[in-house]
Amino acid sequence: MAKDRSQREDFSGPLRRLLLGVVCLILLAIFLVWRIDSPRVERFRAQVTDAVVPNMEWAMVPVTGVINLVRDFQSYQRLADQNRELRSELRQMQAWKEAALQLEQENARLLDLNNVRLDPRLTFVTGVVMADSGSPFRQSVLLNVGARDGILDGWAAMDGIGLVGRISGTGQNTARVILLTDAASSVPALIQPSGQTALIAGDNTAAPLVSFLENPDMVRPGDRVVSSGDGGVFPAGLLIGQVAADPAGRLRVRLSADYERLEFLRVLRHHGTEAVTDPGSIVAPVTDAGNIGPMPLSANEGASDG
Amino acid sequence: MDKMSTSHLWVMRAAFVGLAFLIMFFHLLPLSTLPSRWAPPDLLVAFSFAWVLRRPSFVPVMLLAAVMLMADFMFSRPPGLMAMLVVLGAEYLKTRAAGMSEASFAGEWAAVALALVGIAVLNRVVLGVLGVDQARVLLTLSELLLTIAIYPLVALITHFVMGVRKLAPSDADALGIRA
Repeated sequence: MAKDRSQREDFSGPLRRLLLGVVCLILLAIFLVWRIDSPRVERFRAQVTDAVVPNMEWAMVPVTGVINLVRDFQSYQRLADQNRELRSELRQMQAWKEAALQLEQENARLLDLNNVRLDPRLTFVTGVVMADSGSPFRQSVLLNVGARDGILDGWAAMDGIGLVGRISGTGQNTARVILLTDAASSVPALIQPSGQTALIAGDNTAAPLVSFLENPDMVRPGDRVVSSGDGGVFPAGLLIGQVAADPAGRLRVRLSADYERLEFLRVLRHHGTEAVTDPGSIVAPVTDAGNIGPMPLSANEGASDG
Repeated sequence: MDKMSTSHLWVMRAAFVGLAFLIMFFHLLPLSTLPSRWAPPDLLVAFSFAWVLRRPSFVPVMLLAAVMLMADFMFSRPPGLMAMLVVLGAEYLKTRAAGMSEASFAGEWAAVALALVGIAVLNRVVLGVLGVDQARVLLTLSELLLTIAIYPLVALITHFVMGVRKLAPSDADALGIRA
């Protein structure tokens, strides 16, 4: 018997080792290709996700629903407490609502007085969150809208209140949103009221860091953080959250969007901020005679450079 | 008899793929989108190792590689690296499994722990050398420790619930003739 067995191993050993080597080489090659040409492999990843995850949706929706139901049921046990809390909160809210209404009317009057035109092209597509990243190391969600709905990489995703993340990877029917809490996410932002610019960089915690701040002394906890629109990444003025200081003294952003339960996200259509490319005509108006004199000439140079 | 065992083999291989998809499915459920301070155990790797140690023929190299590559793609991990490390770890365990058949469970647990530590360390080293962004050490460490801690449970489930058991010598001979 033992002899029989050893013969079998002798025969299959080299073959198996060869197979193992080939498999490992292929996997290593995939990894290296990913490292070298990441966008192409990420597109492939989006296609794989697009092919697999929508097929699971029929099972995912009820299972998620049942688990959430159980969780909600647990919270029903504290119903009386919650009710009392909500009542007192509601009383406060009514006062705030009154204030907000007055401010809204005032704001509308002022906008009207100034003849301000708000950006009319900022429309949105709403998607449902189908799946999350599945890994504790990455923070992203998968939406059920994709290239079919005209979603493009880089668009902003919000819940009802604040910015949630950025589209990164679109399949035909799905799009992945990299959340602001992901370590790979950083968003140019403006801190009001001091007007300082900063980068909101995620680090896999619930509150992203405020980095590249010019003058931290001018920023205080509680200040509003909105997207600045620098670099054409996002439309300007989307609410991100409030500044907060962590125990180590670093400034972080407490996000306005409700990250505990992301269900529906708005993807803002954004076709880039228009840049001013014509530099010279304000300095010296173009005359009918054509380009005479140094000023229009330099203006032309500037235009051709831009 | 011969035909039966072949079909049984393929059924169990399909069962492994099904198990892997089930684990991935539960990972992908959008239950909490808040970043957590600790990482849950990597059940996919734990079950793979438990199966490989009991019945290597149920988890051939190609199948394991395909499943782990799929997991890499689904979980937004760098594709290929983790799959390669898990395949190598499983191969290491297969060579150890031959001498382990009479040993106690503690030996198996230690070997699995060693393989898991090796995978985690190599993963971080390779990603570090190639300059890929990495999660915090604490997160990796918690995942590693929890996976090692939960392995006995995984092995129990594999043994009693799924019925994947080590071959008794007589069964091995029966299969040996076929192979």
